[in-house]
Amino acid sequence: MSAARLRILPISATLLALASSPCWAAGKLLVDLSEEEIAITTGFTGTELLLFGAKEERGDVVVVLSGPARDAVVRRRERVAGVWVNGASVVFRGVPVYYRVASNRPLKEIAPPEILSANGITEGTLDLAGTTDVPAAQRVPFQDGLIRNRTRQGLYGYDPSGVAIQGDLLFRTTATFPANVPTGPYSVNVYLFDRGKLAAHRESTLVVRKVGLGADVFNFAHRQSTLYGVIAIVVAVFAGWLAGVVFRR
Amino acid sequence: MQIYLPIAEVSVNVALLLGLGGGVGFLSGLFGVGGGFLMTPLLIFIGIPPAVAVATEANQVVAASVSGALAHWRRRNVDVKMGLVLLAGGFVGSSLGVWLFTVLRGIGQIDFAISVAYVVFLGIIGMLMVVESVRAWQRQRNPAAPRRRLHQHYWVHGLPLKMRFRTSKLYISALLPFAIGLFVGVLAAIMGVGGGFVLVPAMIYLLGMPTSIVVGTSLFQIVFVTANVTLLQAINNQTVDIVLALFLLIGGVIGAQIGARASGRLRGEQLRILLGLIVLAVCVRVAWGLVATPEDMFALGVPGGRE
Repeated sequence: MSAARLRILPISATLLALASSPCWAAGKLLVDLSEEEIAITTGFTGTELLLFGAKEERGDVVVVLSGPARDAVVRRRERVAGVWVNGASVVFRGVPVYYRVASNRPLKEIAPPEILSANGITEGTLDLAGTTDVPAAQRVPFQDGLIRNRTRQGLYGYDPSGVAIQGDLLFRTTATFPANVPTGPYSVNVYLFDRGKLAAHRESTLVVRKVGLGADVFNFAHRQSTLYGVIAIVVAVFAGWLAGVVFRR
Repeated sequence: MQIYLPIAEVSVNVALLLGLGGGVGFLSGLFGVGGGFLMTPLLIFIGIPPAVAVATEANQVVAASVSGALAHWRRRNVDVKMGLVLLAGGFVGSSLGVWLFTVLRGIGQIDFAISVAYVVFLGIIGMLMVVESVRAWQRQRNPAAPRRRLHQHYWVHGLPLKMRFRTSKLYISALLPFAIGLFVGVLAAIMGVGGGFVLVPAMIYLLGMPTSIVVGTSLFQIVFVTANVTLLQAINNQTVDIVLALFLLIGGVIGAQIGARASGRLRGEQLRILLGLIVLAVCVRVAWGLVATPEDMFALGVPGGRE
């Protein structure tokens, strides 16, 4: 926490410097992230990202973090002869794998829903109508199932008090990334609303990637899978042989 | 300490992995079984994706079987000709099994197939172990009871393509060991096991091989079949997690040695009943996963089966 405060101090210094210069008038919003890259290392158990910034006087802040879009298939569990199997499925094309929204107060108090949705902000309930051909009546339960599963995994979420505003000037929020966070480019959108109208918008990006030995193993397994398989066998044979030699006496 | 497994893409506790490897290794050393049929469901219970658990366990069984296979080879307890016929079937079966695995994964039914295979086989084996051990125990206390004959003649001895297996002192159709190898190969691919629990009784009761060379010959076949499964799973599904396999291996090797030493001091039949009960307990746990109402009526997958 103290590190976070230390990082904010230079921002407020920058802000003071900018406040006197003409360019500040155009940009009502300044944003920075504690990291621009989330590295999934061998010891990775999930992480928290601090997002902080400064805004001009009053207004509400909404932060939307969105992960890379991938296809997702949702399967309904069906009971057949007493056991549960995967039954009917719906494929959603290009759905963000991570989607978290945070604001300083409930969204409905900040702006009307039309304005929010025009800016791609929803209360964690993504509208996936455009991502599949399945008619709405059939789609909705699968869509809800997708959102529910991802919320349980910590990949989707909405926190109506996740943004803390200090002195109507500084704000910050923390975003959590679980251990199973998908890799790829993430977008970070920060919106400033003033009396229900969009006053400013800042977008930046964030990358989640695997690094170190784990990344090497993963890439090797996917790019040269035959050689990887051979090495897996050689390692196993050697380990088994070694164990036999060591413990024979 | 937590470790992020690169292929399974989950974070697990290192001590837990070593403990699992050690515990299952202890049991396998104690009872002289492979342990794959216990390890795979346990890995699934701790949150490893089933497809990764199966493929990785096949890799670990290679290591677990090599030292035993080498020891039996040195003592000339391997019927190489019989082993090669079993292996031919095993290669066909395991290749078929990995293909089936890939197809099932693509249509989102692999987890179900793995669970069903485990419930069926753990159920049968657990029951047989308990029943057989209880009988043997009673026989010990009452030596007058009749003993089972070792070698009988069935319809299978009339099949064509007869071959002479000198080491096993058998003259039987090659189709039978080939078929057994094939069946065990399919199991190895889908369940991530060596298949010794099917192979050993099949060799004794169906083929009529002498007990002294059964274990060596089955280990010989298991090493090559699980190696084939490892390779094909790595190529088709990219589900072999070397890091996970290594941790299980370290625990497993140590556990197996302790188990092998302990087995000399403990009473055999009661132990077999205990193993049978452990197998049945795992079976019930897997079965519960199939019949219990799921937490969520919808489950996620990824198109094409890449999870």
